[in-house]
Amino acid sequence: MGGFNKKTSKIVTLLLCFVLMLGVVGCGQSKDDNNPSSPSTSNDATNNDTSNGTSEEEKVTLEVWHLWTTESDGNAVSFNKALDEYRADHPNVTVNIDATENEAYKTKIKTAISANEAPDVFFTWGAGFAQPFVDADKVAKITDYLPDDALANLNMASANNFTYDDGLYGLPFISWVGILYCNQEMFDDVGAKVPDTYDELMTAIEAFNAKGIVPITVGAKDAWNAMFFQNVATIRTAGTDLSTEALKKNESYDQQVFVDGAQMVLDMVEAGAFDPSALGFTYDEAKIALLNGECPMIYQGSWLASEIQNPELSLVSNKVVAKNFPGLTGGEYNKQFLGGAIDGLMVSNTSKNKEVAAEFVAYITERMAKESFLQGAGIPAWTIDSTGETVDPLVQQIVDLASESEGYVVAWDTFLSGADVSTHLDLVQELFAQTITAEEFAKKMQEVNE
Amino acid sequence: MNRVLSNKKTILIFVLPAFVFFSLIIILPILYSGYLSTIEWNGYSEKIFVGLENFKNLFADFPKGFTLGVKNSFLLAILSVFVQIPLSLILALVISKGIKGEGFFRTVYFIPVIISTTVIGQLWLKIYQPKYGVLNYLLAQLGLENLQNSWLASAETALACTFFVIVWQYVGYHMLLLYSSIKSIPKSLLEAAKVDGATNTQIARHITIPLIAPMIKVCVTFALIGSLKTFDLIYVLTKGGPIHSTEVPTTIMYRVLLTENNYGLGSAMAIFIIIECLIFTILIQKGFKAESYTY
Repeated sequence: MGGFNKKTSKIVTLLLCFVLMLGVVGCGQSKDDNNPSSPSTSNDATNNDTSNGTSEEEKVTLEVWHLWTTESDGNAVSFNKALDEYRADHPNVTVNIDATENEAYKTKIKTAISANEAPDVFFTWGAGFAQPFVDADKVAKITDYLPDDALANLNMASANNFTYDDGLYGLPFISWVGILYCNQEMFDDVGAKVPDTYDELMTAIEAFNAKGIVPITVGAKDAWNAMFFQNVATIRTAGTDLSTEALKKNESYDQQVFVDGAQMVLDMVEAGAFDPSALGFTYDEAKIALLNGECPMIYQGSWLASEIQNPELSLVSNKVVAKNFPGLTGGEYNKQFLGGAIDGLMVSNTSKNKEVAAEFVAYITERMAKESFLQGAGIPAWTIDSTGETVDPLVQQIVDLASESEGYVVAWDTFLSGADVSTHLDLVQELFAQTITAEEFAKKMQEVNE
Repeated sequence: MNRVLSNKKTILIFVLPAFVFFSLIIILPILYSGYLSTIEWNGYSEKIFVGLENFKNLFADFPKGFTLGVKNSFLLAILSVFVQIPLSLILALVISKGIKGEGFFRTVYFIPVIISTTVIGQLWLKIYQPKYGVLNYLLAQLGLENLQNSWLASAETALACTFFVIVWQYVGYHMLLLYSSIKSIPKSLLEAAKVDGATNTQIARHITIPLIAPMIKVCVTFALIGSLKTFDLIYVLTKGGPIHSTEVPTTIMYRVLLTENNYGLGSAMAIFIIIECLIFTILIQKGFKAESYTY
């Protein structure tokens, strides 16, 4: 009996070890390319590749880091597609991909750059996130390494988040826009109108509350979700130009228009627009409330469209309409959007092959602009030709809205940097908890600028 | 053997590997943090020496809420020492008496210690969940709807709810330590007491507890230090929110270091936590010194 037990436990232990090993091997990040369809570039270069000019004959290796670890993610699909094309076009360049999940990536890239161990090409966010990289001279000015015509198709307005001291340091591929997603079916059920104006929004909030439905789902535990409301409300009262100037510390937040923006958020909280427990929900929990038809509205980035339309993830596909955040009656900033092109690729200053790397960045971002757009991940930052392609109806609605846009301001937490971000997010959460007044909010925001 | 061990060279050789590892993994990082705490640095910029400026900031409540964080961690320490340990002690005394199902209870109380903290956090998130959470559901079933709350989302209840989980999780751990210590007391002592007509309470008060005092000291040290540097459960449950009501020094340090890139201030907090823990350890050592029994 004892012998049997011993044997069994040994076998079980072995099995457990095996499972553990499987886990470790299986869950480890794929160092190599994650699309087996592209045979590793055959380096016996067929020297007839003349289209790419210059130094194409020598063999070059590029290290590339990005954060698209989920293969179904819109940007991951488009990146891999663009990469396949690049490899086919550039048989002499070996591209090594290293993908890391979003939160870990933030730490990883910061550490690598500060240690001068950054890869040739890396994904980064523009504006405040990359500011310290540029200040410390760790990033190559990409225009120095590109032929003049390479950026002919880039919408320079979209590239403003990658422009530092009048120099262009990285290239974006898509812009996102903030969208109020409304579940048409639920609006019909309570007999409310999908809101175009702030007053209609307040009426709808009342109608849903009367039926015991939480009108707008928000995951305010992840403070940036709450921040979206304050940011876009401030666009309505102050406009994008003034918002941007205040963010650049050229204007004061301590003005009536910023107070009004904060007051709009307070009014919405007061009116019961959000779940009283909103400060305890994460982005994912809040999102699910929309996807399973529990809540009729969410204000989120355009990236959510593809998930809403995916019947495997959502019970509300084709029931949702896209709206810009409701405008104020007589307001002059009603066609402005929260959003912008904040995702992009940069070339490290430590790279030995800056020309090749810069060409890679331009090549990939231009193709990703189109592919990511078709995947519903956002609005292209490059001029693209999408004739003959089918675009999802919800994505098309967003594109139509964005095409009428009269201005953008990017989410404040990406524009600001360092401790300013925490201060801003804290203040917005306090608005949601109703522990400060709109005036205090504006005053304390101004303390950041002083 | 004695001759070998009295040879200083041999001692050096035997101690060296462990000493090198210890220095590399513990001493050096602490010294490096000490150095970082005296500079202003965002990870990329030039390092500027600022002396004790970072520590001055900490005591002047910058970043905002640091003082509250320290207070919170002290409150947790008090709860751990005066609620958690007595509870563990009572449980240990009861189940070590050879009650029916001793092994079963011992295992059940110990389970929360085995489970990963993140998993525990997720479990309790589901319990506190305001809509479909177990706690609110039970309250509704009992007809106590007016007591329902969004537990982790409101600044009034979040701290208590978080600390409850932390205290609960380690009750089993301290219980097991005390239990094993009680079990090592010679049976003859307890039997003699019984023969003399001592009640269970008298035995516990005059025999068991004095004899396991050294283990209680260990438990108090662990509980106190553990509370001062607690991080994981709070991070999973509330991330220090809502609006900083559940912040402790470690969660603030995490934010300042990793999202605000302020290495100087973050390192100053690390040093603060180390010194705080050292002071308390020394105090406990002194406080318990008087009592030492042998059997």
